Amino acid sequence: MMARRPSTLMIWAERILPALSVVLFVLAWEAMVWIREIPPIFLPAPSSIARYLWRMIADGSMEYHVLITFLRIMGGFLIAAVTGIALGVLMGMSRLVSRIADLWIAALYPLPKISLIPLLIIWLGTGESYKLVISAITAFFPIVMSTYSGIRQADSGLIKAARDLGANRRQVQWHVVLPCAIPSIFSGLQLGMGVTIILVVAAEMIGGSSQSGMGYLLISAGQVMETEKVFAALIVLAVMGAVIIKSQQWLDRKIAPWAASAQ
Amino acid sequence: MDIVVEHVRKTFGSGDKSEVLALDDVSHRFGSQKITCLLGPSGCGKSTLIQIIGGIEDATSGRIRIEDPARSGGTTKLGAESVMMWQGLNLFPWRSVIDNVAFGPQMHGVGKAQRYARATELLASVGLRGFEQHMPAQLSGGMRQRVALARALIMERPIMLMDEPFGALDAQTKIVMQEELLRIFDRTKKTILFVTHAIEEAILLGDEVLVMTARPGRIKEIIKVDLPRPRGLDILGSPEFAALFDRAFHLIRDEVTRAMREQEEAVRA
Ligand SMILES: Nc1ncnc2c1ncn2[C@@H]1O[C@H](COP(=O)(O)OP(=O)(O)O)[C@@H](O)[C@H]1O
Ligand SMILES: [Mg+2]
Repeated sequence: MMARRPSTLMIWAERILPALSVVLFVLAWEAMVWIREIPPIFLPAPSSIARYLWRMIADGSMEYHVLITFLRIMGGFLIAAVTGIALGVLMGMSRLVSRIADLWIAALYPLPKISLIPLLIIWLGTGESYKLVISAITAFFPIVMSTYSGIRQADSGLIKAARDLGANRRQVQWHVVLPCAIPSIFSGLQLGMGVTIILVVAAEMIGGSSQSGMGYLLISAGQVMETEKVFAALIVLAVMGAVIIKSQQWLDRKIAPWAASAQ
Repeated sequence: MDIVVEHVRKTFGSGDKSEVLALDDVSHRFGSQKITCLLGPSGCGKSTLIQIIGGIEDATSGRIRIEDPARSGGTTKLGAESVMMWQGLNLFPWRSVIDNVAFGPQMHGVGKAQRYARATELLASVGLRGFEQHMPAQLSGGMRQRVALARALIMERPIMLMDEPFGALDAQTKIVMQEELLRIFDRTKKTILFVTHAIEEAILLGDEVLVMTARPGRIKEIIKVDLPRPRGLDILGSPEFAALFDRAFHLIRDEVTRAMREQEEAVRA
């Protein structure tokens, strides 16, 4: 087959155009705000958003909210990861457990977890435990299900080979079935991380008692029409989410390099 | 250590429609310290038979004994004296080369220093010195084959069950691996069951070639190969080899055409 060799021009275009498009977009935005004299409450100019952002970073308030939200995300995610993987593994290894858990998962999984917020606020108040619980519950389901299916789909050829080489049942589970499930567990953890970020921010917006975190920052700035602050928070939130997801992918590849090629 | 197979049948699946008869009344005595090749069209039950002998699958009916003349009248548990080299290898992709080879000893509780020393030795003997820390995915097909061979050899079992181990290799690598296997056989005198669908390979390696029928698998004919050992690839050009090849070829061709005709009839019906 003839592979068309991209010209040097195309190579440069591919490198430069994505970044250039962002720059052009920001410039167009800036120009439009100035020319049409759009009020900042409605749509602030990028330059004034940047000024606000810089001020919030300089006085330390942005770092504070970022850190708080980050810790809540990690807390909810860790709870979901530990309990989700544990139950998924148990289900994969015991028919009885899987039969029982299947029923509960089938009943609870389709429920939008966000609809549990009123109930959780009644039970737990609007403090930290409510935010951890709502995000952990949401992340729990994709993690359990991916872990379980990863274990169920463990390569039977590898299991037979291990038994032939003298592994007993426990050794097969630990040295073969579990590693086989790792790619699936990791993809469950990535899904779980995604929903944890969403739920923590949502919970911060709804239960405002702690007055901290990116969700609180967004909602409080929005309520007093500080639109520059809203945009600044959105930009930081997007970057934060991207950094978390990318670091997780990097960590996964580091821990299980074979899984990347297996997927 | 002879392997005695008596009236082994194997069906897969239950319920009248989905039931597949894979092996039908297979009996044979596999000679100690011999290479016996199982030759037959694909789907005839070669993998099934070798896995039953290795204690990996259970026979539906029939008996298999491993006769050990060293023990008085003793037979041993299936699988305890044999190790399998798999069609498709089944290397553990998350384990480095040395950890793949050392898997068996590790499961048996052999310490790290000891099992690594032995694995390093074996890797060197199959030409993989310096690749201990590589992952299977980083190796070529031929090198992965050698890892699988070393992983089986480290078990030091008197019986080696080899299921089309060289099936996926290119012609040149295959030749090298066949010569290597012959060398190992001449040195260690293991009992080897070697599954293949390549006629040439069966005759080159085997003391005996069992030609199997298409499904359900039975032993159609036993071809004794009296070519002298140690064997090298030079025998491929000898008239004796040509005669044996011709005989096996006709048997296999009959089976393949019969299977195709039956399939056609099944489709028409
Ligand atoms: N686990 C299984 N379940 C159902 N059918 C099987 C299974 N394993 C093998 N078979 C069937 O048994 C027959 C023999 O298979 P196999 O021993 O793999 O053949 P070969 O190794 O000679 O190609 C085939 O028709 C195959 O479809
Ligand atoms: Mg096969």
